[in-house]
Amino acid sequence: MATPASRATAATAPPPASTLLEVRDLRVEFHTRDGVAKAVNGVDYAVAAGETLAVLGESGSGKSVTAQAVMGILDVPPGRITSGEILFRGQDLLKLKEEERRKIRGADMAMIFQDALSSLNPVLSVGDQLGEMFVVHRGMSRKDARAKAVELMDRVRIPAARERVTQYPHQFSGGMRQRIMIAMAMALEPSLIIADEPTTALDVTVQAQVMDLLAELQRELHMGLILITHDLGVVADVADRIAVMYAGRIVETAPVHEIYRAPAHPYTKGLLESIPRLDQKGQDLFAIKGLPPNLMDIPPGCAFNPRCPMAQDVCRIEDPPLFHVTYEGLTAERRSACHFWKETLRG
Amino acid sequence: MAEVPKNDEPTDATPNVSEVETVDAETPEEAVAAIEAPVERGEPILQVRNLVKHFPLTQGVIVKRQIGAVKAVDGISFDLYQGETLGIVGESGCGKSTVAKLLMTLEQATAGEVFYKGQDITKLSGRALKAVRRNIQMVFQDPYTSLNPRMTVGDIIGEPFEIHPEVAPKGSRRQKVQDLLDVVGLNPEYINRYPHQFSGGQRQRIGIARGLALNPEIIICDEPVSALDVSVQAQVINLMEKLQDEFNLSYLFIAHDLSIVRHISDRVGVMYLGKMAEIGSDEQIYDHPTHPYTQALLSAVPVPDPEAREGRERIILTGDVPSPANPPSGCRFRTRCWKAQDKCAQEVPLLAIPERFVDQDTPAAHESACHFAEEKDVVHAA
Repeated sequence: MATPASRATAATAPPPASTLLEVRDLRVEFHTRDGVAKAVNGVDYAVAAGETLAVLGESGSGKSVTAQAVMGILDVPPGRITSGEILFRGQDLLKLKEEERRKIRGADMAMIFQDALSSLNPVLSVGDQLGEMFVVHRGMSRKDARAKAVELMDRVRIPAARERVTQYPHQFSGGMRQRIMIAMAMALEPSLIIADEPTTALDVTVQAQVMDLLAELQRELHMGLILITHDLGVVADVADRIAVMYAGRIVETAPVHEIYRAPAHPYTKGLLESIPRLDQKGQDLFAIKGLPPNLMDIPPGCAFNPRCPMAQDVCRIEDPPLFHVTYEGLTAERRSACHFWKETLRG
Repeated sequence: MAEVPKNDEPTDATPNVSEVETVDAETPEEAVAAIEAPVERGEPILQVRNLVKHFPLTQGVIVKRQIGAVKAVDGISFDLYQGETLGIVGESGCGKSTVAKLLMTLEQATAGEVFYKGQDITKLSGRALKAVRRNIQMVFQDPYTSLNPRMTVGDIIGEPFEIHPEVAPKGSRRQKVQDLLDVVGLNPEYINRYPHQFSGGQRQRIGIARGLALNPEIIICDEPVSALDVSVQAQVINLMEKLQDEFNLSYLFIAHDLSIVRHISDRVGVMYLGKMAEIGSDEQIYDHPTHPYTQALLSAVPVPDPEAREGRERIILTGDVPSPANPPSGCRFRTRCWKAQDKCAQEVPLLAIPERFVDQDTPAAHESACHFAEEKDVVHAA
């Protein structure tokens, strides 16, 4: 597992002044019939107000589980947070009572889910679902809440909001439903939004509309945004910083321009080389060999070592901490969990 | 459907497609012989002409009345050449999967023809149809639901031999299945395992092995990698390219991911609401698109390069795709098009080389169904 000493130094570094959310050494396991799946194995990240952090990873990398732990919507059991802190404006959410967390959820932090159709209640009109936020958190009357719902729908540019407020989720298209999800998340003007694959289920022309809307609202409200995705293209378009996850750990974090210019972890490098480009006809695609590890049996040392073209003996024994990556011209913090980040960076 | 709906456009809606040399087979034997005949590389193997599929919309429980039709595919024509990969892109609901089903004869076409080596497969039956089906196989999107969880991998890949026993005699089947597993990069010893013991990428390899079992000439791939993780996608794409060379296959590659389609395709067709909007070589479509819809589609694709994003022009379309049950008159894209004029509402644009580019030696001279076709590079940074 991770070397605790190196982790501690990473975690105790003082956060920047405007840090909104900071996750420190978060670990989550799931107890299943077949054994214990270690979904999150010591994740640290921080988001500032107005910043967009993209959490990039494949299925099973722990990106969604981390988000669920932050929101406090993890299924417990089978899930269990075994260690870590989730500091929201300096307050550790994991130490709060459920009642207190519920007040923060929705009002101060909100989540947008991938599949809008299954996230919305099919037997309630969208107006009722949007208005519920105001009734529950703000104690508004139903009538006022309805007016607020119309206002919100206008804001996310749903045409004819006044007429459509009484309609049900199935009467909206996929893009419109995702707008309603965004409206719901924005309702109480939270300071942090977690968007879990918000556009994965949408067509590309609609995806562009929805991402634009999200970015615009974020700017307007100066929110922190955590964008969880597997799409390297979407990330390049909107993110300020990227955290790449693999087997429940962050393997690389960097400002968005730096990571695309020169990845410092072989996994990130492999991912970038394995996607075909729209603007050029490539030769053979580079394929990362093998499969992501079984979370019940993560390989010793660096979890990526069986798939890594650069793996040496040390990678099979010693789990690399998140090294500070430094080079000339780099102004922001950059880290990579690779023993050979210098070699990777050089290409 | 009893009544064949009137096609609201001239029959030569796509004047530039090649002429079909039809084969009139008198007997089933002749038909099968024609189907078994080899096709030269670069010759058309599949020729689709004015293909239409309308799904009736009915009302009433006891007395069903037809109140309309979902025009899933509404008159499209294209050729698939031997040995090439033709990519079909479009958003959900544009009819691309219906095209796949029609070519597989899993759906009965409402009108139009699909010529396979000169014979219209929409009118074939019996032995001839069976021979065609052997030669056109399919790889499905979802490797989790397209494999029967109660069958072993050996049974799944070997099942096609039950229907077409002439391909592999009974005694040799197990060996044949193991060879196929080896070809798609799986361990032949996995023959007795069940689908749930494999990852998504491995399952898609099983699906591909099943598609290859009968030595087909054409494989229709309907979103074959969209359910897979990025790092596994590349493995499957590389495998498919390798198999194409090895077995001399023609692919019809249907996907919504424009980057993957560009990577694997020789030619690309862009569909919108049941019609082909633009078709051409990958360079013509991606670097020199002339149809506004193609341009919008390409400009909306996020490119994994933050430096490139700044110089690119982005066209954000307004609104959603209209319902295929009630498509707009004239050009179907006009309701979302920034160039739309009165002409677009009245006249259906034909899929042809735009007049201004005819006789010009430019990559913009390819078929595009737009009255105001104009070249615009939206992929590369300015």
